[in-house]
Amino acid sequence: MASNEEGSIGTSMHGVTAREQVYSFSVDASSQTLQSDDPTAKFGLPVDSEHRAKVFKPLSFAKPHMRAFHLGWISFFTCFISTFAAAPLVPIIRDNLDLTKTDVGNAGVASVSGAIFSRLAMGAVCDLLGARYGTAFSLMLTAPTVFSMSFVTGPVGYLAVRFMIGFCLATFVSCQYWTSVMFNGKIIGLVNGCAGGWGDMGGGVTQLLMPMVFQVIRLAGATPFMAWRIAFFIPGFLQVVVGVLVLTLGQDLPDGNLSTLQKSGQVSKDKFSKVFWFAVKNYRTWILFVLYGFSMGIELTINNVISGYFFDRFNLKLQTAGIVAASFGMANFFARPFGGYASDLAARLFGMRGRLWILWIFQTVGALFCIWLGRASSLPIAILAMMLFSVGTQAACGALFGVAPFVSRRSLGLISGLTGAGGNFGSGLTQLLFFSTSKFSTADGLSLMGAMAALCTVPVAFIHFPQWGSMFLRPSSDGERSKEEYYYSSEWTEEEKRQGLHEGSIKFAENSRSERSRKVALADFPTPETGTPTHV
Amino acid sequence: MCTPPFISNIKSQQTKAYSSSLSKYSDSRISMAIHKSLFASLLICLLFQISHGATKERLFSDLEKGALEVTAKPSREGVLDAGIDKLSITWKLSSTATKEAEFTTIKVKLCYAPVSQVDRPWRKTENELFKDKSCPHKIITRAYDKSPQSFEYTLERDIPTGTYFVRAYAVDAKDHEVAFGQSTNEAKSTNLFSVQAISGRHKSLDIASICFSVFSVLALLVFFVNEKRKAKIEQSK
Repeated sequence: MASNEEGSIGTSMHGVTAREQVYSFSVDASSQTLQSDDPTAKFGLPVDSEHRAKVFKPLSFAKPHMRAFHLGWISFFTCFISTFAAAPLVPIIRDNLDLTKTDVGNAGVASVSGAIFSRLAMGAVCDLLGARYGTAFSLMLTAPTVFSMSFVTGPVGYLAVRFMIGFCLATFVSCQYWTSVMFNGKIIGLVNGCAGGWGDMGGGVTQLLMPMVFQVIRLAGATPFMAWRIAFFIPGFLQVVVGVLVLTLGQDLPDGNLSTLQKSGQVSKDKFSKVFWFAVKNYRTWILFVLYGFSMGIELTINNVISGYFFDRFNLKLQTAGIVAASFGMANFFARPFGGYASDLAARLFGMRGRLWILWIFQTVGALFCIWLGRASSLPIAILAMMLFSVGTQAACGALFGVAPFVSRRSLGLISGLTGAGGNFGSGLTQLLFFSTSKFSTADGLSLMGAMAALCTVPVAFIHFPQWGSMFLRPSSDGERSKEEYYYSSEWTEEEKRQGLHEGSIKFAENSRSERSRKVALADFPTPETGTPTHV
Repeated sequence: MCTPPFISNIKSQQTKAYSSSLSKYSDSRISMAIHKSLFASLLICLLFQISHGATKERLFSDLEKGALEVTAKPSREGVLDAGIDKLSITWKLSSTATKEAEFTTIKVKLCYAPVSQVDRPWRKTENELFKDKSCPHKIITRAYDKSPQSFEYTLERDIPTGTYFVRAYAVDAKDHEVAFGQSTNEAKSTNLFSVQAISGRHKSLDIASICFSVFSVLALLVFFVNEKRKAKIEQSK
């Protein structure tokens, strides 16, 4: 019988019904020494029942939670630098490769399109291989594409290389997945916001870094047409270094690495087809797909076009246009964490409904300021509009990832992947519609993009959780459907529930009770009743 | 850059706000302070740039046309190679010139022909002189001399591929253009020459690129295989 282990990692209900799966670690000698004392004592931070950290200390590097956080956002930051490294150097590149505006625009679309597929794949990779390998694959397999800029001679090669470099934006998914398994739901909005925001900052930093590196290389004696190629070695090299750090210093899950845990039976392997089906079947996934397409999507588009816009429309010098463009991306440092924090705060007061409202408010406000940016004809007004637009949109990105971890427990990775892919899809679409043709000026393109974003934010009103409600509807009053356990265990078939494979989801459901509004939480019924698995 | 001090200020403010779980009123006050300080710092940075903007509206159409006779003769037939081939440029005062008294300096520039401006708005010809981007490459600047002048110009290595002509601006003591002359006609269709840019590639770069790429992929594979092996050993124990 499985009830031999005392204080084993997992719920205290383990073994009561005798229907739970007997795990092979019960025979493993090494894991028993681990269980002799309190398993949570080995963590540097206080943890919950899933060993996810309950507090967030950004200045700490404690193993494994804070280390995962820092490795995650730095990987993502490096990938943003690589993907948008070409943007500030376009004035030099377009002369070297004899590009037209159409070529430049198409390459911009290509730079964000590759990630649509890689972000989808990354969700699956994380679910199956763990976040560490997901990140390392993304970094180290795309580093060759960054180096291959030295071979490019014309528009076709340029487009192909930017397309391939764009694949590395999949680190976004692995980074968010990593923080979602390492940090508790109450603070996940802030943690994801910081990781996402500080990573996105790479898009701003690159607008300053690449021209600076280019200048230094030119001072060392290279011609401009060679200097920009050498400059690309910097992001490539960074990717390799960070990839190695991730593999040596990182850990997939609070309890260890995925392959070790899977082989010892502590984490059960899931079937990809099931993970995929439950992600795709959930309509909320697709609403988040569209929403992210018009928050992160327009942010990625702006990274590609804003420097050129200020250079051309307001006749700024290249360096000045670069500084302005960098400010847009750098606002991510506080704007996205702020969005995540606001989402967590709203959840504390109003539960999930608060999170949804915050998301809608930020995204709509950002879109309205984008419309204003296109209309502004004087430089100070344009910059003001751009900064307000950046804060609104980036906070919306942070708020969205305060909601995403609750949509599914089983398919968390794939949903992060699909949402992330939505961001890239939105960017490709807006660049194609508004910035690749001479039909409208860039200024009109910006306003139209803002209008489209405001419209496409409305679907957030349709996200409804039976246990928590939606923007305009209350939670279900049905006794069974209003429980978190019902929602999360409905992702498992009866057969799987009998095998006890859904235990992780039950644990998660208990921890997610924080998403009820304060009023409902206070009137909650006693724990033992809700802690009972439903199949008993 | 004016923003870094504000960013560290903001970060410490944000950490404080989180750890003491303030009410939403102080949160909004802090965010308002952040927005105000960011906007102020940006305005200060920009005031410098705006003053450089030079919003004078001197027009190209006001300049005296054909005041100088300019010729540009390529050193050989066909498409010229940047960094290697030369242009023989001469300029002298035209008999039709009227504003000669104001000429102090002659600025000779390499300009794009219309065919190289198609679908490239960054090379657009504009009437406002400060906005005009069709003549970005400087060839030579010389003090004005009544006698015919000439210059042997080697095409720089940062000249892009395209079709060009040469234009000489006559500039007065206030550094304002007053007249010009060009090696082509008004429609910019005659006496044009083509340039092929350098590729910017180099063998050493190619080799370095391949080496780093191989290292990256190999390092990943080595780690992956190693860990799989270790996990198998763990399991078999």
